[in-house]
Amino acid sequence: MIPPRYGRAFWIALPIGTALMAFGAVGLVGDMGVGAGAKVGSWLVGADVAHDFVLAPIACLVGAAAARALPRWCRAPTQAALLTSGVLLIVVFPALRGFGRDQVPDNPSVQPLDYTTATLTALAAVWAAAGVWVVVRLATAARGRRRPPSRATPGDHPTSPR
Amino acid sequence: MREQTTPRVFTSDLRDERNAALLGVALGVTFTVCFVTGVLSHLIQDPPSWFQWPSRPAGLYRVTQGVHVATGLASIPLLLAKLWVVFPKLFAWPPFSSVAHLVERLTIFPLVAGGVFELFTGLADTHLWYPWPFGFRAAHYWVAWITIGALVVHIGAKWATTRSVLFVRDPTDAYLSVAERPSGTHRQRESAFDRRTFLASVFAAAGAVTVFTVGQTVSPLRKLALLAPRRPDTGPQGFPVNRTAATAGVVEGARSPEYRLLVEGKVRRKLVFTRDQLLAMPQHEATLPISCVEGWSTTQRWRGVRVRDLLDRAGADSAAEVRVHSLQRRRAYRFSDLNRWHAHDPDTLLALEVNGEPLDIDHGYPLRLIGPNRPGVMQTKWVTRLAVR
Repeated sequence: MIPPRYGRAFWIALPIGTALMAFGAVGLVGDMGVGAGAKVGSWLVGADVAHDFVLAPIACLVGAAAARALPRWCRAPTQAALLTSGVLLIVVFPALRGFGRDQVPDNPSVQPLDYTTATLTALAAVWAAAGVWVVVRLATAARGRRRPPSRATPGDHPTSPR
Repeated sequence: MREQTTPRVFTSDLRDERNAALLGVALGVTFTVCFVTGVLSHLIQDPPSWFQWPSRPAGLYRVTQGVHVATGLASIPLLLAKLWVVFPKLFAWPPFSSVAHLVERLTIFPLVAGGVFELFTGLADTHLWYPWPFGFRAAHYWVAWITIGALVVHIGAKWATTRSVLFVRDPTDAYLSVAERPSGTHRQRESAFDRRTFLASVFAAAGAVTVFTVGQTVSPLRKLALLAPRRPDTGPQGFPVNRTAATAGVVEGARSPEYRLLVEGKVRRKLVFTRDQLLAMPQHEATLPISCVEGWSTTQRWRGVRVRDLLDRAGADSAAEVRVHSLQRRRAYRFSDLNRWHAHDPDTLLALEVNGEPLDIDHGYPLRLIGPNRPGVMQTKWVTRLAVR
């Protein structure tokens, strides 16, 4: 990896960005107090650790396993559907677990749906779209074999020679 | 300078500078949008002396806050994809190659930690889920400044790289077959999942998040809001509630025959009204959105007494400002302020009815504030006193 070089933009941005970060940090402690400020700090560290040492390794392992295990004709659509499903599960997980709703038992307008059914419906739509993508790829590939295109099409080359 | 190396376990050729740059540009845009709309919302709720939020256009706050929440949600896949692309750099060795590089890497921590923190706390807040031991609003606000500062440094550090990567023709562009691509340091593998497909998938995931949540504020799409914590058509009288009367501890006071509305402060005549006396006053109707800071919104037809009519009757100054007090005794948002524009807007009402029915107690019976271009938390419910200033 080539060592990074820093131009004028970095030396201009550094003091501005540092001032903004200092404003945020001073404001945090000034507004919330040292105790609560330290708790926010520990949650910031926790957010970073949770991503770098829990979520990211899991995502890398799942991605690598999918890349190795899946046949070529369905690899990209499956990986895309896995990514989308994972993100949708992150977005809906408080509702799936009833987090939030449990704090306001007298307010049925918070998380009003049956989120198991709702999530399965959304995931079914995602995987159906991935299925359509597979069919289109296979159909395009079959047509390409019968009549080779005069030039390659950017971005879509399931038929390009290996 | 020694060259850095990253662990050989990371083999995907999707983890390149170009993907990092493209996702970085996208995140630069979404984080800036969230920051600007978020600071705006903060200023509206807690205005400094130099800031006066207008009462028009009536639906502006609905748009800015809807955009804030939708953009934040759509940033989740963008941030995760970006971090996946650059993840091997976390383990690069040696950890830095110059002092500038060390400084830059140190600011990556507030950038990543702040980004993850802001998206997580924002998502949880839309669900009214608060698993942390500090106040959401202050923490989300101040960490936003830290994050945006780290982002400014990061943009400065990556400016040259991003420009060269984005504006120079990419040698690994997809229309070259894999065999024609220059071989990299790692082993050349067939990658069906090439860069364009990867980026398209990330943006499709962001699109899917939007499709399945944005119906909480864009009513025509409400049936698609499968993963949103709110439906704009679900709740008492057909729209959601944030704080119920029981939670606020106002059930007894709101239903009491002793209920009165007081108009006092800088007025020529102090006024006291029963609910029936308010109903006997000229009623005004307004179709206005209620736009929650948590990102849901819904338009309803409200009917009640104009605040400015009450101010006129009490003999208040034409530039008067008003603090609207609730029956609620504790917690934030037990009052809200009407600046000059809001207090005198013809559609700023103390509503008695919604959609032709008396207000449900959870919507603020007997009387609630509803005005144009205001955050939902500032549409005070169970109003009992106008303090004119």
